[in-house]
Amino acid sequence: MYTSIAGSVARPSEVRLQSPRPSIPPSTAQPEPVGSAFADLTVCRHSVTMSDPRAAIVPAPAAARATDVAIELLAEMGQDFAGSRSIGETLRRALHRIVDHLDAAGGALFLLEDDGRTLLCTASVGATNIEGIRVPVDRGIVGRSVRSGRGELVGDVRTDPEFFQAVDERTGFVTRSILSAPMSVRDERLGAIELVNKRGEDPHFTPEDLRILEAMAASAALAIVNARLAAALVEQERVRRELELAAEIQRSLLPTPPRAGFPVVGINVPADVVSGDFYDFFELADGRILFNLGDVAGKGMNAALLMAKTASLFRCLGKTVHRPGALLARIDAEIAETATRGMFVTMVAGILNPATGEICFANAGHEPPLLHRDNGTFQAFPADHPPLGIAEGSADTPLPEATVHLDGGTFYVVSDGVTEGLTVGGAPLGVEGLQDILREAGRLPPAERLTAVTSVLTAGPRPLHDDATVLAVVGGSAVTRPRSGSAAGRREPASEELVRVSVPSCADRLRLLRQVVALSATQSGCCQEAADELVLAVDEACQNIIRHAYHGDPTGQIELSVHHQGRDLIVLLRDYAPPVDVSRIKPRDLGDLRPGGLGTHLIRALTNRAEFLPTPPGGGTLLKLVKRIR
Amino acid sequence: MNTGMTHRVERRQTGMVVVALEGDVDLQSSPEARRVLLDAVAHGGAVVVDLSKVGYIDSSGIASLVEALQKARQGGSRLVLAAVSDAAMRVLQLARLDRVFVIHPSLEAAITGDR
Repeated sequence: MYTSIAGSVARPSEVRLQSPRPSIPPSTAQPEPVGSAFADLTVCRHSVTMSDPRAAIVPAPAAARATDVAIELLAEMGQDFAGSRSIGETLRRALHRIVDHLDAAGGALFLLEDDGRTLLCTASVGATNIEGIRVPVDRGIVGRSVRSGRGELVGDVRTDPEFFQAVDERTGFVTRSILSAPMSVRDERLGAIELVNKRGEDPHFTPEDLRILEAMAASAALAIVNARLAAALVEQERVRRELELAAEIQRSLLPTPPRAGFPVVGINVPADVVSGDFYDFFELADGRILFNLGDVAGKGMNAALLMAKTASLFRCLGKTVHRPGALLARIDAEIAETATRGMFVTMVAGILNPATGEICFANAGHEPPLLHRDNGTFQAFPADHPPLGIAEGSADTPLPEATVHLDGGTFYVVSDGVTEGLTVGGAPLGVEGLQDILREAGRLPPAERLTAVTSVLTAGPRPLHDDATVLAVVGGSAVTRPRSGSAAGRREPASEELVRVSVPSCADRLRLLRQVVALSATQSGCCQEAADELVLAVDEACQNIIRHAYHGDPTGQIELSVHHQGRDLIVLLRDYAPPVDVSRIKPRDLGDLRPGGLGTHLIRALTNRAEFLPTPPGGGTLLKLVKRIR
Repeated sequence: MNTGMTHRVERRQTGMVVVALEGDVDLQSSPEARRVLLDAVAHGGAVVVDLSKVGYIDSSGIASLVEALQKARQGGSRLVLAAVSDAAMRVLQLARLDRVFVIHPSLEAAITGDR
């Protein structure tokens, strides 16, 4: 039926919308995109009303004019909604227009509250102000129209048993007739617009009045939903900005990356924007280095705030309290005094003496730190004190401390997000998995070892579910070296060269090199055993050069120099072959009985430190072996 | 040039082969050590490797021993070490191979133990 109508009768709404509208000022004449959407909506709504054949085929001139005006009104409302930043004020203005246009004594806009059971009047126009009044959705005519999703036209409320008297009783207003149209978008019920008491000669609302009100209510409904979405977006954006700001503040609480060769490095990969993990380290005036790694229970903003507080406490109190046990006791008392119930912090705090490689530390409920010894073994140090902030301990009773000597090894502290983090296969990394990575990455610079750990966790298909933080405290000669005054001078070993030889890359010269190293070692005060160890390590390194760098070509060159530096013997080995991929040289798995591949393991096991130095001018590879004289 | 390593091979009437390595077993000499050990294993009987006079052994020497041990196992025979010098023992321990090899305190113990 509609098709035949469309062929003979132009749809009024379309025609009117395309025609100039002199009643609208030029500045607002162009509908905004959202306004157009409302126009489409009115077309749609209106086409429904046109299913009434009488109205559609033979529109009365007066009704056509009314429709014309109504459409203008709708267009204006749509624009107003689109441009508005205050939905409440806009709805009130729209209600004014509707009440004027349909010549009602009063009108009210009701919104369904979150509980879905009450309607709250959020705008009211006319004789009595009922803004703020609540009516149950299961009572009254406006409630009925919300429940059914249909418009209501009640000519005489006295004949309607559902008429809700309470409002009139409260205001003294006498309601005679009611026109109510629901506001909903898709299946979401938002509320209704209600008009009361038609004015003028005929005190009755007409079905045409209801259709117009329905179209306006639909328009208002969309505006309300849009406004709510926009508000949610604004709130989201605000929260996001605040989170980013918080993350920035958090990052500023982490220590700045230390200078090259500094014995403490850390890494923090937050699971969320903000993190509950933290670490810190700083050098005291006497050269000792205070460090910590903490993990606040829980995630999100609460954890981040407690993290910020704890990190500040550590840095502030750590400047004067240099015993880790005493320091943690003070922090414990501070947190317990003010922490939100149920929140706590696990922490390892320690102090490194770089001159001796000695670490004194205390553990408050944290994942056991690991000492990766020079000989490849790991030792774990479980906590012997509960987390901070749980018991109101005395600030003056220090936590138990433990002391370890690095002796060329590395002291690692991790958060449980590391050991409980998932690897590519979906299984937790675990302490053993962590040890495997650390063992494999053991020859890399400390910062790269930390990246090796976190990259395993971030490589998987799933995002991190907890913050991952790792701290490494390294020992060995590089940090026991006395500091020289200038930063540039710090990297240059203040050492005495004992011997320098250059031999062809040939297996029959190894015995000669062994004798040179053995003599250098024993003459420097090494015992026979330590000398033998250094000899074997140097021999193995030379074998690697011959076999892997020069691929057995005996015409290459190996330069060896032995240096005496404080308590260390340093052997520098240089070749001129194209560089090997240092990261691929790893100690072999000792469970594997394959012959060969053992050399690298021996080098690592027999020296206090083995590292590749930056490629020297002229190319090739420069390997540095450090052996403590004993 | 002198490789710094010598070896002695003794075939006993029981079918056992005793291989004694002496001196430095290093990158230069280990090919020789490897050949001698694999020859002994190929003989089919038990092999005792006397390491009492090894002054130095590196990873390539250890690798020769491991390869010979694997070949012996594959062939269903045995290869044991005897009177391992301190220098060789230290490297075996570092390589965690001191429990992989059967190690006898003396040559006599190895021979009687394997009879």
